[in-house]
Amino acid sequence: MLEIKNLMVFYENAIAINNVNMRCKEGVITGVFGANSAGKSTLMYTISGIILDMKKKEKMRGGERITVLGSITYDGSDILNMKPSERAKKGIILCPERRRIFPESTTLENLKIGGYLATRAQAKKTMEYVFAIFPALRELKGREGGFLSGGEQQMLAIGRALMAQPKLLLLDEPLLGLSPKIEAILARTVKDINRETGITILITEQYARPILPIIDYAYVLENGGAVLEGTSQELMENPDVKSAYFGL
Amino acid sequence: MVIEETRRKRLDRGIKVRTESLYALSTWREMAYMILPRLTLILGLFILPLVLSMYWQRVLCSAGIYALLALGFDFLAEYVGLVCLGGALFIGSGGYISGILNAYLDWPPMLTIPIATLGGSVISTLILLPCLRLRGIYFAIVSFMLPLLAVYIIIALNVFGGTEGISALDTFPNIWVEQYIILGAVIFSLFAIRRLVNKDIGLIFRGIMDNDQAVKASGINITSYKTKAVFIASIIGCFGGAYLSHLYSWLGISLFAMDFSIVPIAASVMGGMGTLVGPVVGAFILTPMSEALRGFGQLRVVLYCLILIGFIVYKPEGLMNYLQRKYHQFEYWERV
Repeated sequence: MLEIKNLMVFYENAIAINNVNMRCKEGVITGVFGANSAGKSTLMYTISGIILDMKKKEKMRGGERITVLGSITYDGSDILNMKPSERAKKGIILCPERRRIFPESTTLENLKIGGYLATRAQAKKTMEYVFAIFPALRELKGREGGFLSGGEQQMLAIGRALMAQPKLLLLDEPLLGLSPKIEAILARTVKDINRETGITILITEQYARPILPIIDYAYVLENGGAVLEGTSQELMENPDVKSAYFGL
Repeated sequence: MVIEETRRKRLDRGIKVRTESLYALSTWREMAYMILPRLTLILGLFILPLVLSMYWQRVLCSAGIYALLALGFDFLAEYVGLVCLGGALFIGSGGYISGILNAYLDWPPMLTIPIATLGGSVISTLILLPCLRLRGIYFAIVSFMLPLLAVYIIIALNVFGGTEGISALDTFPNIWVEQYIILGAVIFSLFAIRRLVNKDIGLIFRGIMDNDQAVKASGINITSYKTKAVFIASIIGCFGGAYLSHLYSWLGISLFAMDFSIVPIAASVMGGMGTLVGPVVGAFILTPMSEALRGFGQLRVVLYCLILIGFIVYKPEGLMNYLQRKYHQFEYWERV
């Protein structure tokens, strides 16, 4: 479904992503693991196209020059220079790091904003689905986004992304700053979403343990390069991964 | 697969890195690299009066005033995080104080200008003090509104000459003194501010701009530092105002004109925000340009706006940001 070939991203002279090759198969969950500064967020920005926006802004104020090279193929067409909004229409939806929900809108409004690309019927159906998988949100319908707890905000962010009718859902560090209990609930829900709706999911995380059981295939990024890849099982048995990402 | 792609790489020149430290200035070339741009600006400004005709010499004087305002605006906006549209407030308070002292008490400009500079800046700072808690657009709106308030107070109470203003103030001895006073002030304040922002206090100012809560958490009283910053900027502006009233030998409510608040922004956008020298250069380009377009009558404003829009669309970073980058860095194509 998504194929990345020889992707390189430079922030001025610093290389953020170095020659990464990866693919997401349709209908499965693909994981990307890496420490801070490994290039996970840049990878997400590049796939969702936000990087083009950042590039333009930096250019306007005469700042860093961002260079993106390589190719990203989605559903058979090259999307490397496609605008983020066009990509969203094609079904690539990013659920950004640190949630970025609209703090002054209520939960319901946040979901409605997410449903901008959906038809009325789709939006209604998806909203019911979101409330079904995150029952906590149903009670917080009228509460402003800024007053939700971290876990609820993350649920809302995922719900908002789902409202946009994704075909490829990009989850950037969805477990950031959450308690182990909520981590487990969210991880299970992500798996449920994938199983029930068949949405392809690409998920990044620093700490692999809560995510590894639910993914089908994973890549490990280090300093911008993909150093390891394999199925969940293969990675779990790899001694390097064990010490570096599980803390065993 | 062989990658056959290239990208433009940008690197600092070696000489730039070497000349950043004072102790590394060992060769004439390095010294020239550092001194030449500054010398060009200083000499350029000081030679200008010698080559210009009488009319353009007057334009140069008013360009100098705008340059001072633009410098203050850039300092407050890019180094303290206060977008201050109070240029007219500074000009007005400085101009009125020096004009009144001169007209009612008959003090000479030598005395009134320093008094008005200090007194005006104290007054403007006190007026702006209550709104220092505001940030961004809110501070801009309030500071933009205050000069209008002052105008209506003067009209309503009919003090200080009311709408007519006061004319026949003392002028400077001759046009050379006029020009070199303002040019000297521009150069002096430019280099003074440049030094200031690299000192510890400049670090605090920038800290306040980036994250005022973090600065507060370090035990620093941000309101006092903001007050200091506004005071510094208003000293520069009030000097311009005091000078202006003696330059035209007249004071009136047009000292609070909106131009003094707006043109500095245009000059900063054109010259390059955050470079300090950029707004000064921008003011010295924009003011004569606006004069040169006078021949077009009412179309003048349209052309003026078109040029500004052109700058915003095609060179939004501004002139000096671009030139400085070209001067300090070189580019080449690199295979990746």
